[in-house]
Amino acid sequence: MTLPQSLISSMMPEELELIAMEQLIDIVPSFRADKIRLISGTFGPFRPPSKTKVPLWFAVNLKLKKKCRIVPPVWLSIEFLQERLSQETLSEEFTAFPFRFAEISKVLLDVASDDLHNPDRLRSLLKDLREARQAKSREGLRKLNHEMLEIPNLCSMELNEIRPFFARAMDVMIRLQSDALPEHLAKVIEDM
Amino acid sequence: MHRITVNSAHAESGYTCLAFSRDGSKIYTGGAEGYVRIWKTELGDTQEPDVAAEGEEGITSIATSFECWLSGSLDACVRVYDADKSTMRGLVTRTVAVPVRCVAVDPKGQRVAVASDELEIRIIDLNNTSDIQKLEGHRKGVRKVTWHPSGTILTSSGCDGDIIAWDVPAGGESKRIETVTGFLPIADPESTEHMYDSSCVWHPSGNYFLVATRTHEIVSISRETWQKSLTFSSDVVTGAITALAVSQNGTYLASATAAGIFIWSTMTRKVLFQPHYIRYTPGANFSLASHVAFSPTENLLAWTDADATLTRWSEPIHPSFPDPIKSHLSSTTAPKPMRKNTDILGLDDESVQKAPQEGMDDNYGIDDDDWIIDDIGLLDNPDKEPRMDGIHAKEMVSVTKAQPAFQPASTPMVNKKRYLAYNMIGVIEVTDQDTHNVVNVEFHDRSTRMSSHFQDVNKCDMASLGERGALYACPEEGDHPAQIMYKPYSAWGSSGEWDYSLPPGENVVALAAGGSSPSKTLRTKSPDGDIEGNGNVIVATSPGYIRFFSGGGVQQYIWNLAVDVVSMVAQREWVFIIHRDGGTSLDGCQNLSYSLIAFDTFNILQTGRLPVPRGATLKWIGITEEGAPAIYDSNGLLSILDRFRRPTQARWVPLLETTSLARRQGKDESYWPVGISGALLMCIILKGREEYPGFPRPLIQEIEVQMPIYSLNEPQGRIEERVMREKVYINFLRDGLGGELNEDVPRRELNIDKELIQLIQLTCKNEQLQKALDLVTLLHNISSFDLAMKVAEFYHLAGLKIKIQLMKQDRIQQEGFQDIYGEKELLKELAPVSAPRRPHLHSVKPHLEPFSSSTTVRKSLAPAIPIVPSFTSSDDVDIEHTPTETTDPPVTWDAFPNDTLATAECVEPNKKRKDSDAFENDNQSASKKRILSTTETTSNVTLINPFAKKNHNNPFSRPVPTKSTEATRSNSFFEKIEEPRSKNGARKTKQKTATRQTTLFDLASGSGAEKKSGVTTKIQNNVSGILESPVLPGPNMQPTNVTLPPVIDDQNLNSSIDCPADDDIEWPESPPRISKKLET
Repeated sequence: MTLPQSLISSMMPEELELIAMEQLIDIVPSFRADKIRLISGTFGPFRPPSKTKVPLWFAVNLKLKKKCRIVPPVWLSIEFLQERLSQETLSEEFTAFPFRFAEISKVLLDVASDDLHNPDRLRSLLKDLREARQAKSREGLRKLNHEMLEIPNLCSMELNEIRPFFARAMDVMIRLQSDALPEHLAKVIEDM
Repeated sequence: MHRITVNSAHAESGYTCLAFSRDGSKIYTGGAEGYVRIWKTELGDTQEPDVAAEGEEGITSIATSFECWLSGSLDACVRVYDADKSTMRGLVTRTVAVPVRCVAVDPKGQRVAVASDELEIRIIDLNNTSDIQKLEGHRKGVRKVTWHPSGTILTSSGCDGDIIAWDVPAGGESKRIETVTGFLPIADPESTEHMYDSSCVWHPSGNYFLVATRTHEIVSISRETWQKSLTFSSDVVTGAITALAVSQNGTYLASATAAGIFIWSTMTRKVLFQPHYIRYTPGANFSLASHVAFSPTENLLAWTDADATLTRWSEPIHPSFPDPIKSHLSSTTAPKPMRKNTDILGLDDESVQKAPQEGMDDNYGIDDDDWIIDDIGLLDNPDKEPRMDGIHAKEMVSVTKAQPAFQPASTPMVNKKRYLAYNMIGVIEVTDQDTHNVVNVEFHDRSTRMSSHFQDVNKCDMASLGERGALYACPEEGDHPAQIMYKPYSAWGSSGEWDYSLPPGENVVALAAGGSSPSKTLRTKSPDGDIEGNGNVIVATSPGYIRFFSGGGVQQYIWNLAVDVVSMVAQREWVFIIHRDGGTSLDGCQNLSYSLIAFDTFNILQTGRLPVPRGATLKWIGITEEGAPAIYDSNGLLSILDRFRRPTQARWVPLLETTSLARRQGKDESYWPVGISGALLMCIILKGREEYPGFPRPLIQEIEVQMPIYSLNEPQGRIEERVMREKVYINFLRDGLGGELNEDVPRRELNIDKELIQLIQLTCKNEQLQKALDLVTLLHNISSFDLAMKVAEFYHLAGLKIKIQLMKQDRIQQEGFQDIYGEKELLKELAPVSAPRRPHLHSVKPHLEPFSSSTTVRKSLAPAIPIVPSFTSSDDVDIEHTPTETTDPPVTWDAFPNDTLATAECVEPNKKRKDSDAFENDNQSASKKRILSTTETTSNVTLINPFAKKNHNNPFSRPVPTKSTEATRSNSFFEKIEEPRSKNGARKTKQKTATRQTTLFDLASGSGAEKKSGVTTKIQNNVSGILESPVLPGPNMQPTNVTLPPVIDDQNLNSSIDCPADDDIEWPESPPRISKKLET
């Protein structure tokens, strides 16, 4: 693939989205079917109006065919996001979120906005959250040193965002550090 | 004639008070300017009233007695005047320069209570105004005082929100009875709220008083308990209540709010009347009434408002309603007792017991405050209103209002939208378009049925969504008769629809559409689909008929039930009808019954009372997927009809108490059931005080049901609940199958067994051995017994293990018994009086006798206490010995040729040994193995049974090729698991390997020998219960049958038993039931 240098070391959002598509999500099917066997597991039975858990890609597929209602996850609600947003802005730490919340929420907002309550508000809340978190992760990168960088509760999309810079910066720092090291240690690092 | 007269009473607008003279001929109004005007009731709006102009500041209160009337004023004076005149007699009292807030004369006209901004209340004798009693107790100024009809209790309302009831006997010592808090608002004298009526208005019965609360409700507070008993609230009555009055006989209550004046019935607690001209729209200009009063002698309501106008409303109570005054009071006293008696008879109809004498006493004693209990109990449906007559008769009447008929899961019209039906099939939504309704039918499962919508010019108000069609009904309106319409799904808009017009005067009360669920989609027309029919239609109509139609429109049956039908719901096989047999009962029970009627035969399958407790109403009814009727009441209890398929056996079991749901903690939410699917309650969760779901259609939530049994917080309780509930459901399934078995039942039984084994493990751990044994009796699969035994073994409970063993044998026999006689469980349970089965007594008794001779049964169940073995420690020897004690094999074994299992198991050790060749190096502690193996030996020996030989003619047995290790597996599912594993040679867990018996090779190895040598000491040290075990199985054995060389028994010794850690138990597919083959 011809990609800019910065992207080669990391994945594209679409790829992350693809990965996130494997996450399970509740749907209320509008058709009746027995269990179906897929590579990732057995799903169903589909007995409306009972809920059932299926992979996100499957839910999206059904939704596009108008064969189901997607039950939004608990965290994709205005109250939850609002509360988290205020936490996010108040505290230094990242608040805990599902690892792939950004991808899942994007998919749901794109595909199943009619199943969400007030999708516009959700969208703006998510955007606010993203900005708050992005600012923090930039801030966090200042703490980067040659040994480690600890940012708990970072989500996949954010991780992906800082990965190119982070990887290279760390690389450089390690190299710089190794220059300062005693020779025998430097050699060890070299060998590594 | 209904008339309203308005007088401008005072010059200065502001707080204006009002009082009727005791004979009702005069009305006194006191204004903010300090004047009191005396109006003649019979004159209209053009009269010129007398004026008493002594007051220097605003008049706050007027009270009337027989010979005088009194006014209280902001100028700190209480003045007394001659009755009906404006001539002042003098001052009664004067407060310490604080405003007088209320004066109240007692019913006898002897004493006056004066409330002021002082902290004390004065009770002054009117004949001797220097005789003053002071009641101290309020922490702030007193707003109102009122007298109990008896004249011995005074209630006072303070600015601090307290209501204090005082006992003030005439001439006696006064004392505080009770302080009632939490109802009145805390009101500063400066606040507007202070002007609002806070008086405790006593009902003439004296049994309770009414008070306007800070939450803008009117509550009644019982004199017995001083607790709130009932609430008067209505949607139309909003805002602060500014004045309150009770009619002379207590039938009516008048309240004034910003929304106007309302007259309530004190019994039904419903708003009855409102003056026409002030039926204001909210926000309209209406000056707040500051005082409202019923005339004591005529049908007249008067009030004064903040604009200082006096309004008189004559005939507020429509003549068709009971009179607000004592209807029988006349000027002559002679006929009184007679009439009283008739009243009393009327009362008796309501079961309010009242002694005639007492009524008369009341009457003569206090003439004007006499009262009569309304006799409209028969007219309105009396609501639960605890009443007490005078001082005696204490019969409490709490009659629940009969609930009106309803369609399950329908909602009222809100914002021109409503749900007519909402169930597990779909939703019928209705939008009101003024000239017509738009009916929108949507299904959860769109693959089977096609959603549709149509215009409904008849404005149907009832509907039922069935499996095969939707049924609608519209009410009679004008010359348009009531109608029912059925629209089958298979033929939307085509010839399948039919309708009937009901004869005039007949209306639909309840309806239901049922029918078998479609086997294929109804969206497309299929030629053979019509054979399945269009379902069934049931309609209950107002004459008390229940009409049955076929899905095609054939009138099939009519049932004259002749009682009120409350609701009904249908499903595949039957219709579930709720009806009220007769009226509500006196104890507050609604007296609801149910009937379950099959479509195909019109047989009444079940009938009985509905468990709706006192005071509760039925909120929802439904039929679960299994076909079981279910109800949900206003207490939030979901119940289901257990054993509904067994004639006369049905009973209700509580399935879920939604009030105690964990998810509800700290939240204000309620549940609106839609259906029950297996162990899930499908419902819509309503937030706050919503009663119905709104639009857009909310998502159906699932709540797991949980029977309300004890200790649900502990794992044991939870498992017990699951087992109990699952058994109910399995019974549904079994009953539905009618003796056949499908795959589902054994699978679910196996699941229960899993739970039970977990529970047995927990009980064993806690040494609750009898409990464990009880649980064992609940096991379904024979093979589960083996697992239970392993559990017992793991906890070194050898005695328990042997008992399980016995139970297992008994179960095997019993199953054979069942099948020989072709008895289905169903029939057995229906057998009229079957004695409880005592498993061990008849079949296993011979085994038990030797037990008791050696050691008692209980002892083996006792906790392990090391005792020195009294017999030789070598197990080999034991086994050699015991056979000598053996009696003949038990007769019962002969009776039933079903010792297959035993047969199979007797080959088991061989197989096990072969299987486990690969796993020699168990790293379990030698001692444990020893001990466990002791019992293992016994069980093995037990199984080596002479009758094993018979297996070739045993009909139960699988065709077992005799010595092939692969094929001779018993049906025990342990073998089933182990077999594939051992074949693979995969060693998944250590515990699995531990289950294998070690082999000959192993024995030959040094470790085996070592272990053997350890036996004696370990046994001594460890388990006493085990010591008995070698002796126990004796009778089961035949010496000739111990074919295995002693070495093999040694191996058994070394065999180690699996420790059934609860999460480690692997469960195979359920084995086929052995006994099924007997039919051949």
